[in-house]
Amino acid sequence: MRVGIDAGPHFVPHVRGISDGMTEMTITANTAEKSTDQRSSALKRQRLNDVIFRHLTRASAITVLLLLGGVMVSLLVGSWPAISKFGFGFLATETWNPVTEQFGSLAPVYGTLVTAGIAMLIGVPVSLGIAVFLTEICPPILRRPIGIAVELLAGIPSIIYGIWGLFVFAPVLQRTLQPWLIATFHHIPGLNNLFAGPPFGIGVLTASLILAIMVLPFITSIARDVFETVPPMLKEAAYGLGCTRWEVVRNIVIPYTRTGVIGGVMLGLGRALGETMAVTFVIGNAHRISSSILAPGTTISATIANEFSEAEGATYTSSLIALGLILFFITFVVLAAARLMLMRLEKKAG
Amino acid sequence: MDRYKRRRLSNQLAVAASVGTTLFGLCWLFLILGTLLYNGLAGLSLKVFTEMTPPPGSDGGLLNALAGTLIMTIIGVAIGAPIGVMAGTYMAEYGRHDKLTKIVRFINDILLSAPSIIIGLFVYEVMVVWMGHFSAWAGSVALAIIVIPVVLRTTEDMLLLIPNALREAASALGAPRSMMIWQIAYRAARSGMLTGILLAVARISGETAPLLFTSLNNQFWSWNMNAPMANMPVTIFQYALSPYPEWQQLAWTGALIITFSVLILNVGARLIVARSQKNA
Amino acid sequence: MSPLPNAAPTPKTKVDIKNLRFFYGDKLALKGITLPLYENKVTAFIGPSGCGKSTLLRILNRIYDLYPNQRIEGEVLLDGDNILSPGQDLNLLRSKIGMVFQKPTPFPMTIYENIAFGIRLYERVGRAELDERIESALRRAALWNEVKDKLNTSGLGLSGGQQQRLCIARTIAVKPEVILLDEPCSALDPISTSKIEELISELTTDYTIAIVTHNMQQAARSSSYTAFMYLGELVEYGDTERIFTNPGETRTQDYITGRFG
Repeated sequence: MRVGIDAGPHFVPHVRGISDGMTEMTITANTAEKSTDQRSSALKRQRLNDVIFRHLTRASAITVLLLLGGVMVSLLVGSWPAISKFGFGFLATETWNPVTEQFGSLAPVYGTLVTAGIAMLIGVPVSLGIAVFLTEICPPILRRPIGIAVELLAGIPSIIYGIWGLFVFAPVLQRTLQPWLIATFHHIPGLNNLFAGPPFGIGVLTASLILAIMVLPFITSIARDVFETVPPMLKEAAYGLGCTRWEVVRNIVIPYTRTGVIGGVMLGLGRALGETMAVTFVIGNAHRISSSILAPGTTISATIANEFSEAEGATYTSSLIALGLILFFITFVVLAAARLMLMRLEKKAG
Repeated sequence: MDRYKRRRLSNQLAVAASVGTTLFGLCWLFLILGTLLYNGLAGLSLKVFTEMTPPPGSDGGLLNALAGTLIMTIIGVAIGAPIGVMAGTYMAEYGRHDKLTKIVRFINDILLSAPSIIIGLFVYEVMVVWMGHFSAWAGSVALAIIVIPVVLRTTEDMLLLIPNALREAASALGAPRSMMIWQIAYRAARSGMLTGILLAVARISGETAPLLFTSLNNQFWSWNMNAPMANMPVTIFQYALSPYPEWQQLAWTGALIITFSVLILNVGARLIVARSQKNA
Repeated sequence: MSPLPNAAPTPKTKVDIKNLRFFYGDKLALKGITLPLYENKVTAFIGPSGCGKSTLLRILNRIYDLYPNQRIEGEVLLDGDNILSPGQDLNLLRSKIGMVFQKPTPFPMTIYENIAFGIRLYERVGRAELDERIESALRRAALWNEVKDKLNTSGLGLSGGQQQRLCIARTIAVKPEVILLDEPCSALDPISTSKIEELISELTTDYTIAIVTHNMQQAARSSSYTAFMYLGELVEYGDTERIFTNPGETRTQDYITGRFG
């Protein structure tokens, strides 16, 4: 079956016949050889580029490894004077005296852990609530705008949270929440120390609240992504049995996504532990551990941010770097654990 | 209360709580943006963009700080983005299943969320101490280190989305790997990769901690990359904590400018993805 | 334009497959395949899913090399040279043996660029000559008339059948000697399928063709030789007409009459 195709100007029909056979074959062979040579040389040129590019990409990947290694090494080297001078006592001392050159990490570490902890306590339920809203309850039209709005919270630079916290939030807290807390818990033994005045406005609690707001969008977006991996059929089966929305969430969605949610929470925790600028503005920068969360305190990152540029003397500087090393270690452990959990969830999802 | 009523009630409470938390979260967004606008707009004028940062107690603008941030952001991205793209390319194309890739992916996620003040300390140790002085180069490098994980992640994710059939078709024609990557894979992943870069830019525009001990700040105009350079975040930091009302006003206005630039970049990145998905 | 019937008694062997064994990790996927692909003829590979026909095809242009964990034994001779030898230049090989895939894979570029991409790999061609080469490839693929006014639009905007013909044009533009077709019509509607089948018979004037197909009628219509494969083995090979009317093996008979597969 032949269809008349228009072959174009450069098309040479191959006609075979016994008499022309030999010449035809020789001509074909010659052109074939020439074109192979031509191609070979063109490909050789590309070969070099190919090899170079491949090595460049590999080197870039290795650079990432070197970066992390470099960070660890430089922190170790930089904090060595302090470590050799104070030993493990550095971890247990609350003293922070640049004049006598006696430093201890207890206050900043305590502040870091407590602010992050309270931030999680408040932030996680709120984030999960928002994630549930966005995936189960929100009408589809509103889903995108509200989702975007929540993510915009993540885009706001942390220094903005800092100034807002110092000039707007703290004064408001000073006038409202803090007096209320002090008055309410005044007569409850045990808790009255936790919420003891005076109401400074700034302090550990304020910093924690701001951290909670900052951490919200991260946990929410991970929780959302994870909630959306629940197979619709599973949920439909539950609804089909007559479950209410809350029952579906509680009994199907959350157990199914448990690992992922925990991973997301730990990522948020990692962020809260390392947050610098927002905390620096509102924590009060007092190198001591108070029983009241309404009192000022300090965190590792706030200490470094506030004091590093003015630090003089090897001991002071290296103590600050030692603080950085501790923070790096804490966040590394938290982030690594988060990553492992999320990896396990991915494996389960197949 | 019978069982059914109880279930209905707990459902309603849960739904209300969930709506409540959403409103709670959203109200913070509006509060923060609102006060930012209120306080920042008050000081917003042409002067902000044309005059230098003033000495304490006098009026001025943020020109050198804006310029410095622009310069260091661009250089930071110019250093960090290629490394991120290249590394992501290795992980998605050449070494998809090898051990190096698995390790780098793990490490990258840690770097992505690492406290930026630690990055600042690191660059301080290796660049500032070694060079003997603070510099805009150090600041740019610190920013670049923050850019790399972001760009690497999006590049790898975007390249992994490309179906293998496309790669095979190019190989079947005889195209070498690198040509396939440059002319086909990058083209197909173009908008996603661009989004990653924009998001990285948005992130570093507002970062203060890494600049605190690398580029420091500079009261004057300077092109000198080897010396401290003025920049927005550190300026805002200094001015906000100062007792001078003019400085505090500039801090608010600066905060407004940065926040809205960052938000526009974020929204812009989203629009690019949406538009490319429409065309595909 | 119609070629004279081949005067030689036996057709020339373009590709000689000898005792080919292929391993995915430890699993033996192809168990000693031996058969020829004759020059300027269409050889069809049929068989139920998983019999190894696509695997075999993908060995012929060594596209399996893109993936790890695969091992091969045996020889595949292209005009006498073993393409499986370690020193073989893969890119050069693929310039001689082209492949069209099951799902149409236009590159994310304009129609013009899609075809220019392959040409530019091997030759520095001026704009005028490039235009001619592209037109000729598109004409050969029976696509020219449909796209000549929109060469600068994206290849992704074409219909499925047009995209597949674009992929064929792209493969032809590189001037290969052998063209491998891996179920090229399975994702297409019947009209596009018949257009492409017509195309295949046109193409034999210049190219040696191997086609993997699920569609037995297509194999019977389009090919001169047929190979029936089952569970990684070559069960039977021979003239298409003979295989379909008088197969030697019972398994072949069963498959063709639809008793399984």
